[in-house]
Amino acid sequence: MSVAKTALSGMRVLEISAMAGAVCGRVLADLGAEVIKIEPEGGEPFRRSAPLVRTAQGDESAAWLAFNHSKRSVTLDPEADEAGFAALCAGADIVVTDWERLDLDTMDRLAVIARAANPALVWCEILPFGRGGPYERYPATDTVLQALGGHLYLNGDVDRPPVRISLPVGLIQGGAEAASAALMAHWHALRTGEGQRVDISVQACIVWTLLNSTMAWQILGLNEMRGGAIRKERANRFFTRLVWETKDGFVFFGPVGGGGGAARIKSYEALVAWMAEDGFTDPILTRHDWNGDGQFFIPQEDYDAVTAVVVDFIRTKTTDELMARAVSHRILLAPISSVAGVFENPQYRARNYFRPLADPGRGLDIELPARWANLSATPLAPPAPAPLPGADTATILSSLRQGSPA
Amino acid sequence: MNDALSAVTTEASGLFAGLKVADFTWAAAGPIVTKQLADNGATVVKVESFKHPDSIRLGGPFIDDKPGINRSGFFADFHSSKLGISVDMSNPAAIEIIRPLIEWADVVAESFRPGVMKKWGLDYDSLRVINPRIVMLSSSLYGADGPWARHPGYGAQGQALSGIHAMTGWPDRAPAMPKGAYSDSVSPRYALSALVAALIHREKTGEGQYVELSQIEATAQLLAPELVAYQVSGVESTRAGSRKPGSILHGVFPCQGDERWIALEAVTEAQFAALGQVLAAPGDLDAARDKGQDALDDAVAALTLPRDAFALMAECRAAGVPAGVANKASDLLEDDVLNAHGHFWPLDHAEMGRLKYNGPAYRFEKTPSALRFASPRLGEHTEAVMTRILGFDQAAIARFRDKGLLQ
Repeated sequence: MSVAKTALSGMRVLEISAMAGAVCGRVLADLGAEVIKIEPEGGEPFRRSAPLVRTAQGDESAAWLAFNHSKRSVTLDPEADEAGFAALCAGADIVVTDWERLDLDTMDRLAVIARAANPALVWCEILPFGRGGPYERYPATDTVLQALGGHLYLNGDVDRPPVRISLPVGLIQGGAEAASAALMAHWHALRTGEGQRVDISVQACIVWTLLNSTMAWQILGLNEMRGGAIRKERANRFFTRLVWETKDGFVFFGPVGGGGGAARIKSYEALVAWMAEDGFTDPILTRHDWNGDGQFFIPQEDYDAVTAVVVDFIRTKTTDELMARAVSHRILLAPISSVAGVFENPQYRARNYFRPLADPGRGLDIELPARWANLSATPLAPPAPAPLPGADTATILSSLRQGSPA
Repeated sequence: MNDALSAVTTEASGLFAGLKVADFTWAAAGPIVTKQLADNGATVVKVESFKHPDSIRLGGPFIDDKPGINRSGFFADFHSSKLGISVDMSNPAAIEIIRPLIEWADVVAESFRPGVMKKWGLDYDSLRVINPRIVMLSSSLYGADGPWARHPGYGAQGQALSGIHAMTGWPDRAPAMPKGAYSDSVSPRYALSALVAALIHREKTGEGQYVELSQIEATAQLLAPELVAYQVSGVESTRAGSRKPGSILHGVFPCQGDERWIALEAVTEAQFAALGQVLAAPGDLDAARDKGQDALDDAVAALTLPRDAFALMAECRAAGVPAGVANKASDLLEDDVLNAHGHFWPLDHAEMGRLKYNGPAYRFEKTPSALRFASPRLGEHTEAVMTRILGFDQAAIARFRDKGLLQ
């Protein structure tokens, strides 16, 4: 099998990580970098992080498996074997680490060794709050950062506490942010020979998911309120329904009051035409220009009245029927997909987003969501099995001793 | 020197100084990518069609609560450090202006529904004829091909289709809509990684290329662990309120004041014991824990309710217990950590006045990012870009105006 060229071929990345650093390493590995995990004897703790799945190697972390394919693994204690670590860094372009794996003092000690060995090295740290002052040592987890970044406050039903997203979104976004930032710093190193430290604030990554909330406060003095199925969209003063029960599930749909321009107007017209075909007519459907400039001044009771008519209509359709009509008639709705829904989604399937991974050592034959971008000259590398702990120790360390690349 | 000229001629610092970007992106997911280029020194020329300006110019919040094309804070935040030109892209003669822009550019970025750039003769196969070294980024909601490729949509559909929406809320209720448009904020991180990797490849080999990305596919990366678990063990995870398996306590609890909440977590016995001390009721928590998770959550909520959220967070931090106030937007602007970082950048805009824009979540030790100037008014830099970047003289500009290409 011929190996296609990749964008980052020839780049070597060292990873001393838990989840966030592994996500960064995986993005770089997909783009073609050689990513070497530096692990303690028996493997890094993230390999055993919940939820676990049973493989031929025993219980392994599903998240670890999802973010560590196509990498190599070296067993090395960088503090005990400074010379070995320095030699690895001398031949590397990027080192990525995160706070769930290393404490700050250890990061600092290792950074000194790494950067002395290689002045062009990019040293990338993923931290809860970034570097600086007393806050860099505050204890933090993904959920704490969803809260401190301002996103958690905005999620959930009004009659219960706000809720987190039930995924470690901050850690994963921090890892992806780190990949882009480390590559930018490498671009600089490539052109100037100058390496540097890059630090990522996961809290700031979460702030970036708010989109317009900090502007809404500054401009309108408005702190938006969370909502479940019904909420104030964008910086609206009125409530609209955004989650609709179908015959067999839920769809997201913002038929009225969204401030989205021509596409929202056409979407609503297509809905009303479809409703008319099925005999759902009501004067309220056309009483206002629901998505035009006047939408901000329509009374709440009218929004509620139009919603009641649309609710009845949507309940008569399955999610698949709704999406098929949406695509053929440009209605702005979407299924609220479960994990299985994403796995089976025809659009992802048509684009070969999922790529097969045969991992005989683990007895796994699965599909990974691996093709997240398409680069015409340098496609993403197809996934290869994640390494067993220390699988490449002998090969890589012996090549270092001989002074040649592995 | 007027604002427009100084903006074009400002000596940029940052690691992308000298990089030239023709930016056709709109809405949020695309502009957030090119903002990273602009805030790191690239010269980014945003091309808008004055007959169809960027739709988020029509999305609030608006200055003084009055809608207007140059009044949206939503738009402003994603357009720091960018130059803006306004051309009638529906006029076939627009190519007379756009062609030299493509010749000038290192990067062309766009985020239209697939087919729009081709209609204008600006698809990658056309661009590479004009400029073989060009790196083109296309970011669209569903991707450039597949049965839904041309279906219109925004990030709110994106977060539904990528599984983020279903993973938010209470297990006994309909999924709660996560704030925002999650694919708009997640996908730029992946798009930027792919784009910079393509620039690195070009730096090494001289070869340009086409980078195509689906925002829902990039966002579904957040679901990768669940997709692996689903296939290997058949278990489909779903939203769980704020609980997390394996934790002794993991939830969001009320504090004193209007809509004040704190996220608290105890994974280890030591953290749980320390939380009991902070809440001054170690025995009560142990007793409640014996009765189950609901009883424990209720007991903690009763103890946090009279407390000040920020003071409680400080006590928890000192005791090694992970704790985070559910910050409101107003809190973020006053947040000591974000401000110590310089996360917010105050920038002056001719119609909007001074507003604080969000800066990057990453920091470079030696090549600091900088938000250099506020977002462009529609067509603010048309004349400056035409003359100083594209080299047109006043007679040529007058001809373009006569043809209706420029406002």
